[in-house]
Amino acid sequence: MVAATKFQSSYHYGFIDEATKKEIRRKTLKAVCIPGYQVPYSSPEMPISRGWGTGGLHLTLTLIGKSDVLKIIDQGSDASVNACHLRRFVQMMADCAVTFDTAQATIIQSRHRVPEEILTNRQILVLQVPQPEVLRGVERFEARTRQMHGEADYSKIWVSLYEAYVRFGATMRGSGYPIKVNRRYITTPSPIPRWDTPNLSMAHCLYLFGAGREKRIQAIPPHTPVEPLEFEDVKFRVEEFAGIRCSVSGESRAFMDEIFNGEGHRRHVINDSNFLDKLTSGERPPQRVFVNS
Amino acid sequence: MATLLKVANLHKEFTLFIPGAKKIRALENVSFDMEEGEILGLTGKSGAGKSTLMKCIYRTYLPTSGSIRMHLANGGVSNIAHAPEHEVLSIRRTEMHYCSQFLHAIPRVPALEVVSEGLRVRGYSREDASGQAQKCFERLALPEELWNAYPSTFSGGEQQRVNISRAVLSRPRLLLVDEPTASLDLKTKDAVIDILLELKASGTSILLITHDAHTLNRLCDRCLHLENGALRNAVPVRNTEKV
Amino acid sequence: MNHQEDQNWLLRVRGLTKIFGQPCDSSIAQTGPEHATNICPETGAVVAIADIGFDLYPGEVLGIVGESGSGKSTLVQLLHFDQEASGGRVLFQEVDQGRTNILALSNQRKRFIKNHLMGMVYQNPRDGLNFNFTAGGNIAEKLLMAGTFHVGKIRGRAGYLLTQTEVPVLRMDETPASFSGGMQQRVQISKAVANNPPLVFFDEVTSGLDVSVQAKVLDLIRKLQQESGISMIVVSHDLGVIRMLTDRTIVLKHGRMVEHGLTDQILQDPQHAYTQLLVSSLL
Repeated sequence: MVAATKFQSSYHYGFIDEATKKEIRRKTLKAVCIPGYQVPYSSPEMPISRGWGTGGLHLTLTLIGKSDVLKIIDQGSDASVNACHLRRFVQMMADCAVTFDTAQATIIQSRHRVPEEILTNRQILVLQVPQPEVLRGVERFEARTRQMHGEADYSKIWVSLYEAYVRFGATMRGSGYPIKVNRRYITTPSPIPRWDTPNLSMAHCLYLFGAGREKRIQAIPPHTPVEPLEFEDVKFRVEEFAGIRCSVSGESRAFMDEIFNGEGHRRHVINDSNFLDKLTSGERPPQRVFVNS
Repeated sequence: MATLLKVANLHKEFTLFIPGAKKIRALENVSFDMEEGEILGLTGKSGAGKSTLMKCIYRTYLPTSGSIRMHLANGGVSNIAHAPEHEVLSIRRTEMHYCSQFLHAIPRVPALEVVSEGLRVRGYSREDASGQAQKCFERLALPEELWNAYPSTFSGGEQQRVNISRAVLSRPRLLLVDEPTASLDLKTKDAVIDILLELKASGTSILLITHDAHTLNRLCDRCLHLENGALRNAVPVRNTEKV
Repeated sequence: MNHQEDQNWLLRVRGLTKIFGQPCDSSIAQTGPEHATNICPETGAVVAIADIGFDLYPGEVLGIVGESGSGKSTLVQLLHFDQEASGGRVLFQEVDQGRTNILALSNQRKRFIKNHLMGMVYQNPRDGLNFNFTAGGNIAEKLLMAGTFHVGKIRGRAGYLLTQTEVPVLRMDETPASFSGGMQQRVQISKAVANNPPLVFFDEVTSGLDVSVQAKVLDLIRKLQQESGISMIVVSHDLGVIRMLTDRTIVLKHGRMVEHGLTDQILQDPQHAYTQLLVSSLL
């Protein structure tokens, strides 16, 4: 029977069918050509629901080949349930090597973090993005936000920053701090902490952002200037971990998790698990650290 | 002396559409010249067209035909009867002032402000302008407690003094004054006359409407008499000969 | 006067037209005051305004008067790019020395002109203010759009403007939703003039306010004009407002200019039957 032969063999290489892969690759190229611009794409069905990393999977699965080495992290950890399952799925579909080692990976898919270790020009970082529209908080309508991007009309996002400063006396955005990419588009680079934001600028690697539920792809190509929005007198600041040391490695210059035990005692641990592993084994991976002025 | 104002063949006809189109002839073929530095009186019965003529010169009324040529400080000549609006506005700001029978002041502005505003527009400091206004009020015996009150609450005579202070302090090249001494007592009347004579001495030409023989005699160099919208004497009479 | 001064205009409007709906060739010919309608009898297109032309000179206050539906608001909204004109030219001295029709520019250029060189005060404060932002934030928006990215300077300027407009500075960080109508209007005025634009539009700013509040708003506009010499276009159906604020006036009826002149001339010696009716209706 025709139907039987058609579905006898397993899935397409990389799960997504070739025509759709081609479409996503074209949209990815377009995103690279217009840094910071949100390119709409098809966002095909995946075996996980939208909002669980499908945008990242689309990018990873259309980029990957058998010679690639894949690393998938979730909130800095290679070992979280989501990361493990996604890694197993991509490995199964793409027949590629996987790793925990940031330096070894050619494609890194991540949720909510940029690795501490400096990425090189052989590497691509794919970020899963829940809400790509930086202006959504100040403008409900998609037609309006598109027009605002088109005309570089960013006054509202600036006012919201002003208001946050007036209300709280400091920048209160913990993650997804708005950035201006290549002096043109303002965007939020997925909910990465402010700590990671400076690493997006003039990097050696390619950053790709996939929002599966919202069906948008964005890119920050290598060596692209990225500026966090800041006022002349109120500058952008990264999180400060003043006087805090990692309880495992003793290191202080990295993004920390705050962990409470049952008695309410607090300790800090470096969030990036591979980075922490390397530190504890005596390695010192190259790192770019932004110092607040 | 040089000519300041040349009015030629001025006609003014009002067309009233309500009720029904009705034409009223207010001025007919009025022609006269006015010299620089002269005080020219304008007499005639009520309704003869004195105020209409004055308002035509100020362009509050739009002349139906004829011309009103004013020689400006910059050497140019402007036909106020047909000049573009912005040109008339600029002449009003710097060269011509109209002091009507009734005070037209912006509501809720104190008397002192009303008067000193004209000076401030021309670059005087707030203190300087206010000082000059106070001096003028003193001369015209305007009670001090009124200086910072709103002129809309003033009596007729008080309003008139505010009005005259404003006109005098704006030091125009051409001052149009309608009944400046009407509701004033004799002493204040003389103070107004003295102030207008000083203004004349400083180079201002004044076109004056008055029914008051005393004012007319003391002030006017020449006099024009209007009757039913037309000048009675083609050649204006000297005020010394006849009023 | 010498001819050179005639070129000193700030804003030159020629043949400005706005038609809603599908016009036909005779839509303009068949509407206007002489037909007592602005609706085209053939297609039903609404000729909101047609063939409006005037010059505005620096420091002048121009009044636009007319009954509801005469096209007053449409006129300023076209000049402020809130709506797109169907035809006509608008030259603005501040843009390319007045050589470019600003109606034909790109949206981005228009936005730049609007943000840097114009201000607008709407009848309804909700049109001019963002009620999700604080009063200070609303003023900040105008300043940010005009290129001031210094929180200290923004707050300084906003505080100064609110003091000038007698809005308690203590309420700067509240949203205008909690303000009275008059206060909202004063915040809106503060926003419109925040970056000292050379041209500000006022669209029926005192309608719907009670008289004492109305007086305060009018006094404020007058004070601002006197102190900064901003050129203004004031739209109102209220001849009292027109008399108090403006130097010159344009009278609109059914989308056409029926008369223009010095404001005192329009009020004391109106030439057109409609203007006479309007003036005689003045309370």
